[in-house]
Amino acid sequence: MPLVNFTAREITCKLVYYGAGRCGKTTNLQYIHGRVPEARRGRMVSLATQSDRTLFFDFLPIELGVISGFTTRFQLYTVPGQVYYNATRRLVLQGADGVVFVVDSQARRFDENIESFQNLQENLLEQGVDVRQLPIVLQYNKQDLPTDLILSANELDEAFNFRSVPSLPADALHGTGVFETLKALSTVVLQRLAARSPAL
Amino acid sequence: MTDPFASFVADAATQAALAAARTAAEARRMPYGPLTFVGPRGSGKTHLLRAIRDRAQLADPARQVELIALGKLGDLVHGRGMTDAGTALRDRLYRADLMLADDLDAVARHLPVQAFLFDVLERRLAASRPTVVTTGISLGRIPELDSRLVRCFRDATLIELMTPSPATRSAILDRRVADSGVEVDPGLTRALASLELNSVREYLGALNRILAFQQASPVVISPDDALALVGLDRGAVVLAGAGASPALPPADTAEFADFLSDVVANVSSQFDHWRGRLREAIGHWQAQGVRTRRLEGILAGDSGGDPEPTITEFGRDAGELQRLVAEARVIAPDLAGAEVFRDPDQLAAARQLVAEARARRAPLSAPLPDLRLENLGVGPSNRLAVEAASAVVADPGIRYNPLVIVGQSGVGKTHLLHGVGNALIGRGLSPIACLSAHSFLGELAAQKTPDELAQWRARYQWVAGLLLDDLHLLANEPRAQAELLQIYTALAEGNRPLVFTGVRRLSDLEGFDPRLLTRLEGGLVVEVGAPDREVRIAVVKSLLAGTSSATDAALIDFFTGRPADSVRAVQGAVQRVLGEAAAQATPPSPALAREVLDVVESKLSRPARKPANASGILSPGLGVVRSREKMIHHWPSPEDRLLVEL
Repeated sequence: MPLVNFTAREITCKLVYYGAGRCGKTTNLQYIHGRVPEARRGRMVSLATQSDRTLFFDFLPIELGVISGFTTRFQLYTVPGQVYYNATRRLVLQGADGVVFVVDSQARRFDENIESFQNLQENLLEQGVDVRQLPIVLQYNKQDLPTDLILSANELDEAFNFRSVPSLPADALHGTGVFETLKALSTVVLQRLAARSPAL
Repeated sequence: MTDPFASFVADAATQAALAAARTAAEARRMPYGPLTFVGPRGSGKTHLLRAIRDRAQLADPARQVELIALGKLGDLVHGRGMTDAGTALRDRLYRADLMLADDLDAVARHLPVQAFLFDVLERRLAASRPTVVTTGISLGRIPELDSRLVRCFRDATLIELMTPSPATRSAILDRRVADSGVEVDPGLTRALASLELNSVREYLGALNRILAFQQASPVVISPDDALALVGLDRGAVVLAGAGASPALPPADTAEFADFLSDVVANVSSQFDHWRGRLREAIGHWQAQGVRTRRLEGILAGDSGGDPEPTITEFGRDAGELQRLVAEARVIAPDLAGAEVFRDPDQLAAARQLVAEARARRAPLSAPLPDLRLENLGVGPSNRLAVEAASAVVADPGIRYNPLVIVGQSGVGKTHLLHGVGNALIGRGLSPIACLSAHSFLGELAAQKTPDELAQWRARYQWVAGLLLDDLHLLANEPRAQAELLQIYTALAEGNRPLVFTGVRRLSDLEGFDPRLLTRLEGGLVVEVGAPDREVRIAVVKSLLAGTSSATDAALIDFFTGRPADSVRAVQGAVQRVLGEAAAQATPPSPALAREVLDVVESKLSRPARKPANASGILSPGLGVVRSREKMIHHWPSPEDRLLVEL
């Protein structure tokens, strides 16, 4: 996906929410969708099962309008968290300009988070993407749960943030940290945009 | 076989175009101007040209059909010059039975390409050869189109192509879906075709993305969802098959507004940076008197691409222009003020001017045309050197720069050096300076004034390669070494090949500037030994070639079996026998060779008689002296010398 199309005067950023099943990726998108004015948001497509598990993926396009002469769009995707949907995850991950890795802060979900994080790195590697170069933001979701059930942001940083990327605590259901996460990722993505196309 | 036009889905509006295209595919002559299709991007012009080509070749496989994208001609045609590939293409286009030229509007403002095209079209029209041209905009609206080229279209048949109607688009998309074998919702193609996109390519691109999603999906995606997936539709939230979603908080857009302002600030600052970079580049080059139209165009928003590569490319072109004008000031001061030297868009013309000026100047010492690598006998004694020389030819200025070949006199160093020079010229590098250090010294001594010296130096600094024989002769010549060092630096920085030969290893050279020696040591130093049997065989065979004894194995064996420490010694022996054979009008034979050479050797083996009143300088000779250089065998007394001089 071209990040900047000078001919059409467009900037398009594909941002992917990645993480283990039920960690809160779709909840993030739903919260964002609810906060974006109708005129600026596209259809949110969510293909899910009756048990509310994302079967395929969620997609939410956001029109940010014309900025410096360029029509700017963000396209937010989530991947299905379940292990057996790896082909879909790879497809969605293709051409991503940035990734929010959503961590379920519950201690009992720790191993699944680790497995999903490793899966992200494997899929990126398979697509020839250098995980150190791709903008990634960590979101520690469900921090609103009782403290004896969850790991703190510091503890999760110890486990996941060995590359010192931006990390934010969140409660996606109620919106805490959702836009902050999106903002953090968009900043890194746009900075990288400038680095990759120094003209920008 | 399938009709190529069958792949072209046409509606009533494009029937005329199809009919004309079929006619052009089969026409042997086209007495009027080129058949010209005018239509917006993605209206199927290129598709139509391909169908014409395929149809023409299907009808007559021997027919020469040329389909060319005019936008790519710029790579082959520069300024007043043209690459070899460009010349070959022009000839091919002249002769083609059918010429199909795509995107005439792509040659806008590119005058050299327009001249090229005019040349081709004029000759084709004169011969009534069928020609079909497409253009995205009508001729009158193509900016800066050469009026001669416009005249070629005076009698052209113009046919307008429209963007296909929704029904046609739907048919095109249906065909693509059928080809893919992917099951999609039956209403998908109609839904996609009903949107207003810019071109058929965009419809097909969107469909391809949807097909990729569909292949990965376990369920058939509805048309609405599919369009939304590729960002082509906006509407209400659809949660297909979803259970109860969590209750959303009441809509509050303050968070989004905050996020948006953050993104706007971020993007704007990056764009300001871009504009700043452009303005900086424009100011930088304008201050140096360079025209900056190309960069100003991007700043005005006319550019169709990422501007940074253009800035870099512009800098490279402007830098080359400055080097060209610097050279022009030295070799042709009358040309240095030419406008082309100020405009990077005229770089090709500037190159041409300087090339012509170089050609006007005194010719450089070039390699001897007879001494070629392919004529060189190769054996273990010189294989390494020959391979290194071949590497220099294959990758000039990059591999082994400099290459230093050392070895005793007569072992073939000079042949190798000139062979490299000829091979480099054969690869299109020109001019190649190939001369002995003796000539180099002589030329330098002839430069009497600082201006003459500067011009002489400039000649060598602009050559495509420098090959210098007998480097050791520059020992204790500090001025020549200083000049060589300057020339060396200029050539090495420009990745232009440098090759040297000498009789002594670099470590044994005395009287040399250490800066020059260290640079030479930084390259590859290879040694050529006394000719081994393989080399001697090759030399003897090449000398006997064409004589009645060319295949006389005994004679070849006789020559190659004799001891020889240089190629020249072998050559001398063979030449002597051939000369004697010619004098006696008999074919050369081993017996004759033995008679001739043994007599010579017996004479040589006699004790040398002290010359009474000779100068004492003996000619080299008879294949046993190590060098062609004259040797002082006996230094006469002053009285003897006086007698000789009197």
